[in-house]
Amino acid sequence: MSTTALQAPSRRPLRLPSSWSPRLFLSELLLKQWFEPIIPFTVMIGLLLYFSLTIKDYASIANAVSLMRLFAEFGFVALGMAFSLISGGIDLSVGANFALCNFAALFFLFVLGFPAWLVVLATLATGALVGAGNGILIGYLKARPFLTTLVTLIILRAGVNLLNERFATVFATNSIDSDAWDFLGEGSILGVPVNAATLIVVLFIGHIFLSRSRYGWHLTAIGASRKAARHAGIRVERMLLATYMLSGILCAAGGIFYAARQGSTDSTTGVGWEFQALTAVIIGGASVAGGRGTVWRAMIGAIIIFVMTNGLVRIGIPGYITSAITGVILLIAIGIDVKWAKNRGKVIQKIYVNPAVLPLSPVASIKRGSSSPYAQNDRLVGAEALGLDLVEGPEDVILDRHDRLYGSTRDGNIIRLSGERFETREVFAHIGGRPYGMQFDKDENLIVCVGGMGVYGVKPSGEVFKVTDETGRTWTKLNDDSRVRMADDLDIAPDGKIYFSDCTTRYEASNYPLEIVEGRPNGRVLCYDPKTRTTSKVIKSFYFPNGICTAHDGRSIFIASTTDCRIYRYWLEGPNRGSTEILIDEIPGHPDNINRASDGNYWLALVGIRTPSFDLSMRKAAFRRRMAKQVPLDEWLGPNLNYGCVAKFDDAGNILETYWDPTGVSHASVTSMREHKGYLYLGGLENNRIGRIKIDGADPTWTGYEAYWGNKRRA
Amino acid sequence: MGFLTYLRRDLEQIFFKDRDPHAIPSMDGAFSPNDRLDHLAPIGEPLIGADAAAVAPDGTVSVSAENKIWQLSGDGYQHRALLTEFDSNIGALAYGPDGQLVVCTARGIAKLDAAGRITKLLTEAEGQPLRCLTAIAVAPDGAIFVCDGSTRHSAEDWCVDLMERNQLGRIIACGPALDNARVLLRDLNYPAGLAIADDRFWFTESFAHRLSRAPIVGRGAIGTPQIVIRNLPGYPSRLTATGSAGFWLSLFAVRTHLVEFVLREDDFSKEMMLTIPRDYWVAPALTSGRDCLEPLQVGALRALGVEKPWAPPRSYGLAARLDANGDVVESLHSRVGGRYHGITAAVATPQGVILVSKGAGRLLLHRTELQQ
Repeated sequence: MSTTALQAPSRRPLRLPSSWSPRLFLSELLLKQWFEPIIPFTVMIGLLLYFSLTIKDYASIANAVSLMRLFAEFGFVALGMAFSLISGGIDLSVGANFALCNFAALFFLFVLGFPAWLVVLATLATGALVGAGNGILIGYLKARPFLTTLVTLIILRAGVNLLNERFATVFATNSIDSDAWDFLGEGSILGVPVNAATLIVVLFIGHIFLSRSRYGWHLTAIGASRKAARHAGIRVERMLLATYMLSGILCAAGGIFYAARQGSTDSTTGVGWEFQALTAVIIGGASVAGGRGTVWRAMIGAIIIFVMTNGLVRIGIPGYITSAITGVILLIAIGIDVKWAKNRGKVIQKIYVNPAVLPLSPVASIKRGSSSPYAQNDRLVGAEALGLDLVEGPEDVILDRHDRLYGSTRDGNIIRLSGERFETREVFAHIGGRPYGMQFDKDENLIVCVGGMGVYGVKPSGEVFKVTDETGRTWTKLNDDSRVRMADDLDIAPDGKIYFSDCTTRYEASNYPLEIVEGRPNGRVLCYDPKTRTTSKVIKSFYFPNGICTAHDGRSIFIASTTDCRIYRYWLEGPNRGSTEILIDEIPGHPDNINRASDGNYWLALVGIRTPSFDLSMRKAAFRRRMAKQVPLDEWLGPNLNYGCVAKFDDAGNILETYWDPTGVSHASVTSMREHKGYLYLGGLENNRIGRIKIDGADPTWTGYEAYWGNKRRA
Repeated sequence: MGFLTYLRRDLEQIFFKDRDPHAIPSMDGAFSPNDRLDHLAPIGEPLIGADAAAVAPDGTVSVSAENKIWQLSGDGYQHRALLTEFDSNIGALAYGPDGQLVVCTARGIAKLDAAGRITKLLTEAEGQPLRCLTAIAVAPDGAIFVCDGSTRHSAEDWCVDLMERNQLGRIIACGPALDNARVLLRDLNYPAGLAIADDRFWFTESFAHRLSRAPIVGRGAIGTPQIVIRNLPGYPSRLTATGSAGFWLSLFAVRTHLVEFVLREDDFSKEMMLTIPRDYWVAPALTSGRDCLEPLQVGALRALGVEKPWAPPRSYGLAARLDANGDVVESLHSRVGGRYHGITAAVATPQGVILVSKGAGRLLLHRTELQQ
């Protein structure tokens, strides 16, 4: 390929592609917690629609109000079941407890003659007492929840039947004149039946309790793994006791409203409710194994069961058939629950990587001796090794005004090397994360991009401070992209604004090869404004933005795209302000960091060399998609990042010269280079050293700091 | 290849999951990885293109390398002399009971006299030329057996044959005077090694990763073959019988998930063969790591300057010793980052086992304990 083909291509402003596809959407949707109840929710809406169409006057306000009044008590019972199920157990006594509390409320009212408020309190206490019995057996004596509550069910049911026989006539013949009691049975709040209104309030409280409070998390944690919860210091016994008491209190609440509404008791009250509640909660997506489920999902399940039972009865289908249908639904729901809980992670793993077609430009020749500016040579082979084994993967290197050399380690340290031969090593600062690109600001603070954390700064004293780690969320995206996931390289404009690249919004920093193989514009270029202390998006979607460098005149920034294998220019000023253009195309490697050179040009690191096979795979999305599914990650066809080189380009985007080490032995990856006083220092993401070569004819007094903030500026 | 092909494959995996899966077996047991090959002493200077070796009745060893045959002798086979030179590359070679050397050339089977001159040449069998001769063995009764890897490609183009998934290999027998050539087996999956021991005929099929044997039922005739090892972790090539019951098997490369995957991807592999130079294919190789345009697998990324030995290998050194039943007893490896990849022959000699690393262009001498 001739050099003319390497002339910078046309400079028309570019429309960058966005990263949307149905497959991507689906995989991110499945990751969402709120997406899990989507199937029960659809079923619920479907059922309501079906009965609205088939039953006369079903879709009327009057019917809705009456349904709500009928439903609320079952809702309380289902909620109690949900809490016990989420805690990893089961409460089969909910139906019997409900019947007992119904009886108890009437007993307190008619026989003992309590006032309404005392009836409510006493009945709640009765329910709590039954729950406490369960809770002590299950929490403290470690009895099996299923058997324990089954026994409670049998005893309570027998007891209620005995008491019913004795007091049925007493209840039937007595009547009481209490407005408060009548309000509990017949009243409405803002048109909503009082029992349903109470349920809604309880649901809100229950939701906040379960999802936002410490005790809710403890409860879920116990359900997920009782042993692990104990090891984490959770008081398992006490929490379980409280859970079953809570379940009992909820049943009691249902019982009170039922008593107030019906004013009678018989042997069928609450019979079979435990199984209906169980079906409801499992249909709603709570796991029988515990640790999974929400209040809302339990309620969706309860509404499905209630609406179906109620609707089928109104259509005229016999009750035993309705029961059978409920049983079949329970069976199916449990089957799906088991399979889905087991395989959800696997499904997401299989479909999360969504490669797209990325036709890369033809590649410039690297053939040794050819006329291409990229022709291989041996100019890096003799590079000195500085700080051998003192650094671990210095992605970027930089020197300060006192000629001290900064690198980094994988465990989040910034290492400072000083002395004649840079033999003195000190940990300049510990930031954590994975430090990548670095730059000095005007006040000689070292600003560092930290993978997994954001952008941080280190004062000359070694004190670490956060610059930014978040930006605004894109509301059209399902993945929360407000966090900066993999800040890679940065540069500082003359006005102090920090421009930095965030390689990916879909993967973690340690998984960057996945991002390259996916080949989608998931990255972005962000800008931190120190005046407003906010971070805004400069370019919203970009193919793996990596190196960032402001031009010598400060009017534009250069952005290297590692997957797209191009260098772009983004205009900060001038007539094209805010537009992006391709500066260098047909690069034979994967570009990484860009930095200023003393002669008014720019250094560019190629972290890897494009291989014909990887280029071909980038054109074949389906090939890579199947590869992601069928081949283990370590065996994927990836970009060849074991070889690299350094290139120099000018403001017009012409490649001037390159520095190669074709053996790749001493500097396997070249991710950055920094010129300082006539030498070029080399950093590499996977190197155990910092390289150095002397540059012929370079200004021996030029330093990066002076070029940005001192007397070597070229603005 | 359309959507239906993939669907059919997926359904087959679901409904016939017990069908011979041919998944890559893990390297454990006798195949446990080690660095034994890398620790062997090379014999003399590099010998570019070294391919096969054979022991003469007098104890010297003949080695083919490109278009030359070298004769090795002396302690540790340090002495090297040129025996003969051809106009095309030489592959496998073997000595007959009459002491004469039979070699596989690009044009056919050649019989040489003591001075290395061709006395006879067999160029075809049953009307098809012999262009891809990969292995040769001579039975005690003088019958000559050869493997013809493919009727479509030459031996140098083995990689093309692999990518095309051809099954065009043959096993051919002929008399001691290269007469009466017959095809014993055909439609094999690149047969690349054979040996004769105890009236049984053993052969490998490289691209089917298997070793088979058949009884010899008369001069140059064999019975029905039966599979001995169904699924090897690498591509088996030449097989030589040792004096004491057993064999040495060379595996010129090992299988990787990526190559197996590419072999299932018709569209990708076709375009790869059309548009990419062969050295840069996603395919096994005899040597690797010398060119930055070679494909790289994610696990092979160097970490802190270290090439991980367990990285997915593009090339690998592997030879295995088999007992008389064909069970693998021990193996010698050169892993990723090792020196001696692409073992194309392992031959037991009076001084030890000579291993030919075609990838490195080196001969290695493995002195077993008895010989030390």
